Amino acid sequence: MKKFCYVILAIAYAVMFIGFVGAYNAANGADVSANGVIAEARVINLPVDQAKWYVSVVGDTKNARYQEILGWFSTNKNLVTLKNQVHYCPVKSSDSIYGARYAKNVKSLPTVRVQTSDGTVVYEAAGRSIPMSAEGLNGAIANSIRPILPWRRNHVHPKPCPNPGPDIDINVDPDPQPLDDEGAPAPDGTNGPATALAIALSILLGAGVGGAKQWKKTYKV
Amino acid sequence: MKRVILSAVAVMLFAGCSDSYFTTNENTERPLVNIPRVLRQSNWLSRGSGSCVHASMMSLFRWQGRNNTARLWGQRYGSGEDAQGLRAKMDANGIRYAYVTNGDVNFLEWACSTRRGCGITVRGGVHMVALVHLDSEWACLLDNNSVSKFIWVPRETLIAEWKASYGWAVTPVYTPAAPLPAK
Repeated sequence: MKKFCYVILAIAYAVMFIGFVGAYNAANGADVSANGVIAEARVINLPVDQAKWYVSVVGDTKNARYQEILGWFSTNKNLVTLKNQVHYCPVKSSDSIYGARYAKNVKSLPTVRVQTSDGTVVYEAAGRSIPMSAEGLNGAIANSIRPILPWRRNHVHPKPCPNPGPDIDINVDPDPQPLDDEGAPAPDGTNGPATALAIALSILLGAGVGGAKQWKKTYKV
Repeated sequence: MKRVILSAVAVMLFAGCSDSYFTTNENTERPLVNIPRVLRQSNWLSRGSGSCVHASMMSLFRWQGRNNTARLWGQRYGSGEDAQGLRAKMDANGIRYAYVTNGDVNFLEWACSTRRGCGITVRGGVHMVALVHLDSEWACLLDNNSVSKFIWVPRETLIAEWKASYGWAVTPVYTPAAPLPAK
């Protein structure tokens, strides 16, 4: 009789355990069968990129100029950075989507277009109006973006020297990162003196308070 | 008087003939996932069954710039599909994708706000369509059984329908087509 009771008790514990695990899984949305469909949560971290801008590079694949411009987005450091910060859309004129969404609103081919997430065009150049170098294109895009991003308006840019010597950085616009609009903008270098002053004041204040405390402690004032 | 009447008739005739499809007056395209007609995949019969899941995925692949993937998908797959089967095929082809089968509306919000769209189950789970817009009032569907038009339904109606249909939603995760230029 005693053995029988133990068996019943063991079965009861097992049932309770199974029920607990089932409830836990249900609460967490895992492995709950719903008419043969296994209920599961999302499988990857969903990119929160609603605010990302778009860069479209549109052209004919047989056109050497289009290929050159596409290449810039793989070889020029600043344009690669830009490409990685936005939705980058290379569009061939032979693609169906070209006829449906680009053919009637591009002036000529190739075209480089930068848009905000809501479709507002902040930079567009087509055909001969596209700068001749990757650096030029990068600078043109940066110049178009600067006026609409408040923290870039007062950014001071180094001017290229007419006869640059070996020590001069000829990268006219070394930090075109205005498209990173998904977080707080990085402070520009123009705030450097203010930051240094704040740090120095903090150190002096801390030293003063600490010194005063130590003085009181030592001499029991 | 004759001139006035003729002008009025002309205005009526040409109303709605603007190029609004090619540029937008507002800064938001509607639907957000404005898949052009030429990119929409119609449902097809395969082994006696419809291929709505695959058709929805093909439209979304094309919208997200994956034309080759869409073409290969259509050549390789067809017929009815469930969440596990689709997941296996996505994994086998190295597709970047996301899905839920728990009716989480946040997933629909995410898919539409990022302009990717997603396939969702309807009609008690026997059919999949593409969700191409979801805002505070309205949802918009692209049904692969009738790809010539978008179908607008109240948001709550769509969510109720989806949740009553296993709450399965799935989408590729690539770059959506750029918005039309806003005027």
